[in-house]
Amino acid sequence: MERSPQELLPLTPPVFHILLSLAGEERHGYGIMQDVAQQTDGALQLGPGTLYGCLKRMLTAGLVEESEERPVTELDDERRRYYRMTAFGRRVVRAEAQRLAGAVTVAMAKLAGEKA
Amino acid sequence: MTFGFDPVGGFCRFYSVLLYAYPREFRDQFGGEMRQFFRDRCRDAARRSTLLQFALHTMTDWFRSAVRERASAIWSAGRPTAKRGFTAEWACTILVYLFVSTTIVQAYVIPTGSMEGNLLVGDHILVDRTAYADPGPLGAILPARDIERGDIIAFRFPEDPRQTYVKRVIGLPGDRIHLEDGQVIRNGRRLVEPYVQHLPTYPDPYRDGFPQHAGYGITPRGRAMLSRNIVEGEVVVPPGAIFALGDNRDNSLDSRYWGFVPRENVVGKPLVVYWSYNAATQDLLEWRIDHVLDVATHFFSKTRWDRMFLIPRSRAAEEK
Repeated sequence: MERSPQELLPLTPPVFHILLSLAGEERHGYGIMQDVAQQTDGALQLGPGTLYGCLKRMLTAGLVEESEERPVTELDDERRRYYRMTAFGRRVVRAEAQRLAGAVTVAMAKLAGEKA
Repeated sequence: MTFGFDPVGGFCRFYSVLLYAYPREFRDQFGGEMRQFFRDRCRDAARRSTLLQFALHTMTDWFRSAVRERASAIWSAGRPTAKRGFTAEWACTILVYLFVSTTIVQAYVIPTGSMEGNLLVGDHILVDRTAYADPGPLGAILPARDIERGDIIAFRFPEDPRQTYVKRVIGLPGDRIHLEDGQVIRNGRRLVEPYVQHLPTYPDPYRDGFPQHAGYGITPRGRAMLSRNIVEGEVVVPPGAIFALGDNRDNSLDSRYWGFVPRENVVGKPLVVYWSYNAATQDLLEWRIDHVLDVATHFFSKTRWDRMFLIPRSRAAEEK
């Protein structure tokens, strides 16, 4: 019943980076935002509305799920929920990374003669 | 940017209100987390003194995502609950928007050069209406503080309440004020006002030697002040009133000419210049068709980009 990852491509930049931030570990919302900012050198600053809007759609699409575990204890609070990537989410982000790599290869070839 | 109060608590309560713009289902699912997220982010921004960028970023994020969640709640309708909520939910978003635009901030344009040096003709500013709000029901949830000398205030012009003026607070109730050679003497001490701009203009004994040599241009309200509130050659600010002057001191119609600003006329505190457009005073007071065309054709060249998001600062004058 699971869909093919290709159906969800291309991913929007927020969704792509949120998935990447969850590739290594489970995180809560604020942790995701911080990691995404780090990944993109501060270019992508997720606000709460954008972040939770994306998470909602990603939960529905089965890319992420809520985790019952609480990895970071010192900052813990009942309201903090942790999210982790599903196996399907991992396939989707891989497919997206491959698609982007392909696009970059094409771009390099086409722009090879030009000065940067 | 420094605050005389801790803004984080106030911002968080404000954000809790903003959350009502989202569909109820979304709020129920993520509201708590979003508040938590907002608080963390707000503390972080306060630590790094980037609260203003943070506030602007959050407002954009809030508006876009609220509209998006509303829209997607409607698309995913079909379910009776979502259908029933359609009108109510949109009404809710609009109400929150109206609440924000009428009680929290309001947009004004600076029509005259009386604050030149700090605010230019054509600066479009957002005024924080809560800054000096009476500690009524809102006082409990929003930070408010008293008006201080040196603050820039926006107020309804006493001679014509439809106009909003922006001036600087020079005297509070009880202060004794006069001018010598264009310099303000408050309670016997000469003010050093780094924000003031003096122009090489014709001498004007009243303008520079207030309240002596009363001359032209004083309104009946201003004359009433001169006849009632002068003690030994100085104006004494009565209770519930504010003495306000323009920073462009030699070319400003202010308390010298039309009297005190009643405390209740104060609307708020200019927060940020969100757009600055180089236009004539008359064009800014009403939107005529030729002004619309002018904006349409010269938007990029006549917008003063370097003034965008400038913060008009309150500064206390040094007393000597």
